[in-house]
Amino acid sequence: MRTPRVLALGLTAIVLVGACSGGGGSPSPASVAPSTAASAPASAPASAPASEAAKATIRIGSDNFYESKLVGEIYAQVLENAGYTVERKFGLGSRQERIPTMDAGQVDLVPEYVGSGLGFYDKTKITGDGQKNHDALQAALDAANKNITVLGIAPGTDTNAFAVRSDTATSKNLAKMSDLAAVQGDLKWGLPSDCDTNALCKGALETYGITYPPKNRTPLDACSVPMATALQGKAIDVAEFCSTQPAIAQFGFVVLTDDKQTQPAENLAPLVRNDYLAKVDATAFKALLDAASAKITTELLTSMGVEVDVDHKDVSEVAKNFLTTQGLLK
Amino acid sequence: MPPGTKIFDPSWVFSHLPSIWERIVQHLQLTAVPLALGIVISLVLAIIAIRRPVTYGPVTAITGLLYTIPSLAAFALLRPIFGLSLLTAIIPLTTYTLLILFRNFTAGFNAVPAEILEAAEGMGYTRRQRLLRVELPLAVPLIIAGIRLASVTTIGLATVAAVLGDAFGGLGQLITEGIQGFFPTKYLLGAALSVLLAFAADVLFVRLERVITPWSRARAGAR
Amino acid sequence: MDGVIDFFADPAHWTGTTGIPNRLLEHLTISALSILFATAIALPIGLYIGHTNRGSSLAINLANIGRAIPSYAMMVIPLPLTLSLAPVLGYDPTFGLDFLPIFLAMTFLAIPPLLVATYAGLRSVDRDLIEAGRGMGLRERQILGQIELPLASSIIVGGFRTATLQVIATATIGAILSGGGLGRFIFDGLNQGVAGRPSIYAGAILVAALAIGVDVLLSLLQTRLTPRALRKARRRGMPGPSGPTSVVDGADLPEAAASPA
Repeated sequence: MRTPRVLALGLTAIVLVGACSGGGGSPSPASVAPSTAASAPASAPASAPASEAAKATIRIGSDNFYESKLVGEIYAQVLENAGYTVERKFGLGSRQERIPTMDAGQVDLVPEYVGSGLGFYDKTKITGDGQKNHDALQAALDAANKNITVLGIAPGTDTNAFAVRSDTATSKNLAKMSDLAAVQGDLKWGLPSDCDTNALCKGALETYGITYPPKNRTPLDACSVPMATALQGKAIDVAEFCSTQPAIAQFGFVVLTDDKQTQPAENLAPLVRNDYLAKVDATAFKALLDAASAKITTELLTSMGVEVDVDHKDVSEVAKNFLTTQGLLK
Repeated sequence: MPPGTKIFDPSWVFSHLPSIWERIVQHLQLTAVPLALGIVISLVLAIIAIRRPVTYGPVTAITGLLYTIPSLAAFALLRPIFGLSLLTAIIPLTTYTLLILFRNFTAGFNAVPAEILEAAEGMGYTRRQRLLRVELPLAVPLIIAGIRLASVTTIGLATVAAVLGDAFGGLGQLITEGIQGFFPTKYLLGAALSVLLAFAADVLFVRLERVITPWSRARAGAR
Repeated sequence: MDGVIDFFADPAHWTGTTGIPNRLLEHLTISALSILFATAIALPIGLYIGHTNRGSSLAINLANIGRAIPSYAMMVIPLPLTLSLAPVLGYDPTFGLDFLPIFLAMTFLAIPPLLVATYAGLRSVDRDLIEAGRGMGLRERQILGQIELPLASSIIVGGFRTATLQVIATATIGAILSGGGLGRFIFDGLNQGVAGRPSIYAGAILVAALAIGVDVLLSLLQTRLTPRALRKARRRGMPGPSGPTSVVDGADLPEAAASPA
């Protein structure tokens, strides 16, 4: 009885890993308030004119962190306002888990960061230009026969940001990344494990004169809770975060300016399945979402993040306020 | 924790009672449905195993094998098939109850003294009457013991269902969101509620057992 | 799949701090320490509640905290505390990051199966034998040591085996907090997308192999510890009417003392 049990444990450990599920809960940036009407599909469509058939029900997914859910909610509300029926399927997991879910046709639209999205398929093509990343991502998706379209990018980006505690910034005179080289030996570095093979991590640090790997290096997932907690608790002195992460403001960390422009352009853009686009008036649909994306700036992403994480407001409420203020809701 | 974070903020709790309650209800769903299904399946399997002892080994082996699959793996495996529906959560949670319940149920039936079974036969009971009026009532203590254990286990496991996202997160979702948002109130509440639920389930079944087997108390008192 | 074979074939993966032998050692160390600590807590309590049959509900329900809360949460939640205590208690904050949280989480994980198995094992001992012991004039401690423990030993070691298995499997999550051990192969691989798959599989295989190996060793130990007279009885199939007759919570069920991983 016991040996088969242990064998099963081993086999399923392997299968678990093969199914690309993360460990005991993926560490992801910041929080989410439970989306309202958690298990119910969307609210009733607004008063819509003749072409109901052209507004097929759309299933919108998101990754498992607040910002993805927030942007997903923004797109959802814009579409609902225009008469679409939306089924929300937020919190699908990390990118690794969300991609197969979308490939299997379980969701039609997800928000994506063009830099990292491209990096999933081809890390060498990532640049600091959002439009270039967008085009390269579309090319990569086409090459992989995914039948997914990348819609227009938003100006808002959420890219890598290296930060220190404010006391470290003061005591070691750190304001921009170039300042790090002089004190690199004194610092404990929190870097993700893939930094070694990531040109945007290792390459960036070397551009700033940091000898790679740094002497004191602790492997932690970027933008994660452990990363922030470790920095606060002084187990590390330099951490890698996501630039719009509320934790930075919450903890009062100081982001070091990327003065040599090493970080990728991580503009947000919706990914939509082509078979969904075929069911609707694609031009109108794209125009709707492009208009919404155009209003999503980095500043607004950051301030909305604070509303969700620090003020503990519901994602749907924050999205609605954003859309109302931007005049996108009729 | 970000500076100035309260360890526990009762005002947040009071202003979010409806959504917290929703999480509790989700969690109870995630527990009650698998438990009920598991009881029915295990009861049937146990009765079969008693009638045909040769099935005991294979059934134990299969339920044991299912038991070993780490819950995260099970959810990951079923997601592509059943999507993000309640089924993806309920199926593994049900199979986890099977080993405990099956073994306890069979142990319960086997604990019925042979003499009593013979006496029942001698009194002219049919097989079904014997099952319903003699075997089941006498097997109750171990049956309930199994249900107790299975319910507590399931409550704990249901917290892992949070990986399925917002729709069925239950208390596990409270915990995950609290951790991600550096918000102790949420995760402490989620953890405490999970523990409380487990405790309540345990107490419930102990009471239930006392109610339906008044004779065992008499026996225990006489010891 | 051949990526996995290449992974194991690569000599670089067998040397140094990031090599397989060292990671194995780290994994074993954290697992062993957690289980030892958990045993030190669970065994005495289990013996007490098993022998006296008092306070079992309370003890077991408290222990169930280790089951009711997911291990990831049990690791990440104490993190601010283990870090802030570093200057106070005089250890390096890194220790409070990559060791203490996972150690605590694993200890809490191992306690429920050990406690329940100890309790169940003691309760499964035939009351008549204990009465006989009392009749012979044995003191309580002697009854526990000479009658109850030997008869319960198989179930108790069963609980120990279960706890060990769970800890070895779950200790992989320590890698989330920069901890070492076999989890490092899995998490580092996860971070590298497609290129990291061989590492992930290799890590999973190693964890499984370690778990199986330890389990086999412990099963030998379990057989050794069971008094010879009982070994034949234990090889019975179903729990028959001649099995434990005292009404106990899952008496005959050391496996059920554990929750699934």
